[in-house]
Amino acid sequence: MLGVILNGQERLVREGVSILEAARSAGVEIPSLCFHRGLKPSGACRLCVVEVEGWESYAAACTTEVAQGMRVQTHSEGVEAMRQTVLELLARAYPGAARERLREKPFQRLLRRYGIPLRAGGEEPLPCGSAGGNVAFRDDTHPYVRADLTSCIGCFGCVRACEEIQGQFVWRVWKRGQQTRVEPVRETLLASGCVGCGACVDACPTGALEDVGGLEPDGAAEWTRTVCPYCGVGCELEVGTRRGRIVQIQPAGDAPVNRGHLCVKGRYAFGFVHAPDRVTRPMVREAGRWKEVAWEEALGLVASRLKVAIGTLEGRCRVGVLASARATNEENYLIQKFARVVLGTNNVDCCARVCHAPTAAAMREMLGTGAATNAFEDIEEAEAFLLVGCNPTENHPVVGARIKQRVLQGAALVVLDPREIELARYGGVHLPVRPGCNLPVLHAMAHVIVAEGLVDERAIAERVAEWDAYRAFVAEWTPEHAAALSGVSAGGIREAARIYARAKPAMIFHGLGVTEHGQGTGGVMAVVNLALLTGNFGIRGSGIHPLRGQNNVQGAAHMGCDPGYLPGGLSLEEGRGALEELWESPIPRERGKHLLEMMDAAREGKWDALWAVGYDIALTNPDTLRTREALGTIPFVVVQDLFLNELARDFGHVFLPVCSSFEKDGTFMNAERRVQRVRAALAPVGYARSDWQVVCALAQAMGRSRGFTFESSEAIWEEIRRAWKGGAGIDYARLESGGLQWPCPTATHPGTAVLHQTGFSHGRRAVLARVEFEPSPERCGEEYPFLLSTGRSLYQFNAGTMTLRTSNRHLRPVDTLDMAPGDSMRLGLAEGEPVRIQSRHGEVVLRLRLDEGMQEGQLFATFQTPEAALNRLTGPVRDGAVGTPEYKVVAVRVGKVGSAEWREGVGEAAGSLGG
Amino acid sequence: MNPMDAMEPGNLGGDPKRGGMAWWRGRGGEPSGAVQSFYSLPDGLPPEAVCNGTACFVARRLSPQTWNEAERQSPRVYCLGQCFGGPARRMGCPRPRMEVRGGVGIVLERLSVGGARHLEEYRSRGGYAGWERTLSRKPQEVVAEVCDSGLRGRGGAGFLTGRKWAVVASQVADAKFVVANGDEGDPGACIDRYLMEEDPHALIEGMLVAAYAVGASHGWVYVRCEYPEAKRRMEAAVDEARRADLLGPHTLGRGRPFDLTIHSGAGGYVCGEETALIRSLEERRPEVMPKPPFVAERGLWGRPTLVNNVETLAVVPWVMRHGPGAYRALGFSESRGTKVICLNSLFRKPGLYEVEFGMSLRRIVEEVGEGLVGGRELRGLLVGGPLSGIVPPALLDTPFGYEELRRIGASLGHGGWIAFDAHTSIRELLRHVFAFGAEESCGKCFPCRLGSHRISEALDGALGGGMSEASGVAILEALRRGSLCGLGTGLGELGESVLRHYGKEWAACWA
Repeated sequence: MLGVILNGQERLVREGVSILEAARSAGVEIPSLCFHRGLKPSGACRLCVVEVEGWESYAAACTTEVAQGMRVQTHSEGVEAMRQTVLELLARAYPGAARERLREKPFQRLLRRYGIPLRAGGEEPLPCGSAGGNVAFRDDTHPYVRADLTSCIGCFGCVRACEEIQGQFVWRVWKRGQQTRVEPVRETLLASGCVGCGACVDACPTGALEDVGGLEPDGAAEWTRTVCPYCGVGCELEVGTRRGRIVQIQPAGDAPVNRGHLCVKGRYAFGFVHAPDRVTRPMVREAGRWKEVAWEEALGLVASRLKVAIGTLEGRCRVGVLASARATNEENYLIQKFARVVLGTNNVDCCARVCHAPTAAAMREMLGTGAATNAFEDIEEAEAFLLVGCNPTENHPVVGARIKQRVLQGAALVVLDPREIELARYGGVHLPVRPGCNLPVLHAMAHVIVAEGLVDERAIAERVAEWDAYRAFVAEWTPEHAAALSGVSAGGIREAARIYARAKPAMIFHGLGVTEHGQGTGGVMAVVNLALLTGNFGIRGSGIHPLRGQNNVQGAAHMGCDPGYLPGGLSLEEGRGALEELWESPIPRERGKHLLEMMDAAREGKWDALWAVGYDIALTNPDTLRTREALGTIPFVVVQDLFLNELARDFGHVFLPVCSSFEKDGTFMNAERRVQRVRAALAPVGYARSDWQVVCALAQAMGRSRGFTFESSEAIWEEIRRAWKGGAGIDYARLESGGLQWPCPTATHPGTAVLHQTGFSHGRRAVLARVEFEPSPERCGEEYPFLLSTGRSLYQFNAGTMTLRTSNRHLRPVDTLDMAPGDSMRLGLAEGEPVRIQSRHGEVVLRLRLDEGMQEGQLFATFQTPEAALNRLTGPVRDGAVGTPEYKVVAVRVGKVGSAEWREGVGEAAGSLGG
Repeated sequence: MNPMDAMEPGNLGGDPKRGGMAWWRGRGGEPSGAVQSFYSLPDGLPPEAVCNGTACFVARRLSPQTWNEAERQSPRVYCLGQCFGGPARRMGCPRPRMEVRGGVGIVLERLSVGGARHLEEYRSRGGYAGWERTLSRKPQEVVAEVCDSGLRGRGGAGFLTGRKWAVVASQVADAKFVVANGDEGDPGACIDRYLMEEDPHALIEGMLVAAYAVGASHGWVYVRCEYPEAKRRMEAAVDEARRADLLGPHTLGRGRPFDLTIHSGAGGYVCGEETALIRSLEERRPEVMPKPPFVAERGLWGRPTLVNNVETLAVVPWVMRHGPGAYRALGFSESRGTKVICLNSLFRKPGLYEVEFGMSLRRIVEEVGEGLVGGRELRGLLVGGPLSGIVPPALLDTPFGYEELRRIGASLGHGGWIAFDAHTSIRELLRHVFAFGAEESCGKCFPCRLGSHRISEALDGALGGGMSEASGVAILEALRRGSLCGLGTGLGELGESVLRHYGKEWAACWA
């Protein structure tokens, strides 16, 4: 600590802080127009000047560090006069037209504080300052960000935010002197590569850049802090509401995960909450038509049908519940408890089945915990990144931006992905692997690490088992051998292995490009091997990080929405005893059926009832034709959702309308094991209820209120703490001041950012996995010459249920088929043309998009609109261990669509493409 | 759009760790043009360029036609480095008078006798002897010797050179760099120009010593594009040095490499400021950056970087050859050794002179420059270029030294002496210098971007003129005490000296 004298008062301040920060922490506000939290101080506006005793010049408080004994005057006559002078110069160039509209922006508030008048509307500003006689930039083509730089004062906050936070480099400073002006790199924001993160808006002190939502006359009346409903990064939001509607969302500045940053989905795509087709009353289908009914009636119907279904022991094996990655931990806990206690079945699953179940299985087996080993905070500590089968800048944008910043600062980067994803363009090595061939490349990287002596000897000696057998196993996996299988060059594999192994600490991020394969679990094991070999575990900046796709998919599975696992990730055997006691009820002994096994049984006519909470399997399950065939046989399907999704529309019998996460309390668990508070910003829309309330009411309707009577989500959480030792230390009060990463076993435990520090969670050495490569049955040949991978995009989220009901629809209206330009030339197909894609399992029609980042012979398509129904192409291949479908490898052929046929409409695609 | 399209090379590609600029270009990145738009001469210096510098401005009556051309020229070219012959045009520039006056010839040792453009010539006059002596010492001993010599930065700031070297030497990093600042933008000075053109090996030798002392592996010479000849000569000299194995993979001994790159500016006064210069080398927008971090800690591509002025580095070989004591013995007070000054064309004997610190300004004006041409009366003297206080005739007895000049509100600067006579009113001088400042401001810091323009506009009497005197004073004060870099503070100091010494003329500006 240093002693400084601030305005005559002695203060103790931390070493290394600026005068501005020191003053703020002492409650002294020094004005500034260019200082923004999260950006490096730039010292541009010079309004934060202060007098330091003994200095002839004023010191800019934002860029001057405090020193022992420094005597600082923050509001001396001299610096106040200087502030006045600079503000007067700025005011002179400020357009009168903006005076009223932007009154409440920081710039105008500061002018008023210094008593500086602005010219009235209609009067032209004098050419001075940023515009410098040039026509200022305006752009109203972006659905979310409005730019009108006539009121820009040239602080370059937007330029710095775009560079230092998002790393997108959209905004630029042009020219110099009085001609200096700020403009994007091309004629519009979107043409300039803007990804709509809004960081520039937050950095703008004048209102030259604004959220379109913020333009509403009144703005937000109340702000509520909660967690984003989209991906598994778990950014914290400040939700601005007025009269029961969300009007604006801003990032929480002090959130550990997003540190004042958001992506286009989290910040702007909230319109679905108030979408006109939101269902807000329960409905039952009668004679094929939906009819609105009271909750009691709907619940009564469900209860009676379920009661009949579970009337026999055999019947209990023919009902199933699908929990939701969009629901809270409390709700998921209650859903699986309902399945096990009320329905008497372990037939409960969630969408982790189709995404990271392989990760959970592989990491649980090898390391003892089936979740990310480290924290996002470690990104800034890492010296290298290995990205395998993930595209963070599109699918986990806030983490993607943090990785990008670290790479721009000099961290090394290896990308193993069929496509040249955005991050692959920022240096390092890109290994464009043929879909389905991760395993050979990962094994060959391990081969290089072993052969070239790049292993961490200490890790091998102290933490790893079966080293000799493993060494013999990888000896055969030469880079040349892997190259022949995977299409990646042997030299590239060697370079990648060296980069990853030599930089320490190094982090691995992996996504569904690893897991959604016939050998998904094996693929994750091969990823874990690399971290084990190089000692990249148990220390900051290292580890293995599955990027979870949905806000609470980690939580849903961890709360026991899995046919073989109970809350806390305990197997049925491990967890049964304590939970039977807590629940005062037996838990079925048999492992239940997972999602795809339920579908298998249904296809054989052996399924009686399905209750799907917030999960549209009709659209997202693979092999749509067979899925629909299966769903068509189920006599009773209950759908619980915000919207009449595809499952409800075509197969539902009862529809239960529920709240979005903006309308309820609870907790989510993000991809780094962080439990965070979800808070209601709105009252439930219409007659919607929280999922947990529905579960409780249904249990009651089925005559089981014991164990299902709760006053609040917090009360449910209190029971979870008793069910799950690793979360016992987490309570709502502690979550008020930020999330906690589990394990957090006691009320004073600080949470665990880094797992496996001194030993693995299972208490043993980690066994290096020797996974034999089994090629996918989806092979290319003359008939099906292309390999297709499927995935999502920046602007649309998963099945599009939410984002398609927002202006994101304008940013990316349709699903596309991405193809290498060389292939399109060979096939005579043009960009934008509708093309027919056929696999062994079905066909779809999509618009063609040319992408130079694609390898020839490979294709990529998004699956996000019901019109495209892309899963008509994907097949029945599943991961051998946990059943996750192989969405990432489909052999297809592509051809032209006749114009007559196109107009008739293949599926409904024709109608939607213009959208 | 491909995100790489939006990148400027400096955002990452120029980092040598990533294979340099070539890597970035290989990725198909194209600069957006924003960085280029900063510079006034992106295509280089036009052959027909005429000088708009302050030395030429005050001498405009000597050739009204040349000055008229300069005023009509777009873009303006502030200082061709021909201040001894202003108003100047690029074509037909004569060689200036270069003399050693008093004391020993150090900087002008060779220039005063015709220069040493080639290696053999340089070697035959003691060249690279300092380098050989350097190699027999430990790097920290070299730093200590430069410290002991009392040599201070000749670019204007006057920071103790050895201390700066010690900071860079003490940094631990994967790479360190040395940069010679040859962006001699101060109108009125052309010292570095002739050092680079006619004694290039002195700079190379100085950079070798510096690299050895601080542990740098590569160096850059930043040459302003207004000096195309200097760039050509430097490149030729670097080739010679490479052929002679003075530069190359093993030149620093024990297998340590050192090589030089000559980088050409593109027209921007502020690039002479070291943080802007670093960004310019990185091909980023050359904005001034706040310090800390100092470039000695985090400079070019984030690596510790020694930035020294050309003249400073050119002195180093002499110090190494003759020892720090010999250098220290010259000069006076805190200003040791000698300094080259450049007298403008209003002196009877304009040119470059090496003088010992401690001489009075009067002796320099009267004995070295032999007074003003045609017996004109001196109205004021700028001794450190236009961005420093004016010395009125009454203060000519001040001795020539860093602190001594600060004490009278002037500064030593880089040694560009501009004497002006009754033909130039204070108002005209201010208008000229503030227009220069407004045009050359990097546009980042508010007082400089807005204030310089506002004063220039008001003095023009154009758009929104009619500023009150009090506002003028307030802006000058904001510039002087609150600007981010020397451009703004220099403008403020000039204004401040007018308030102090030319009160009547100042009042007349606002009448």
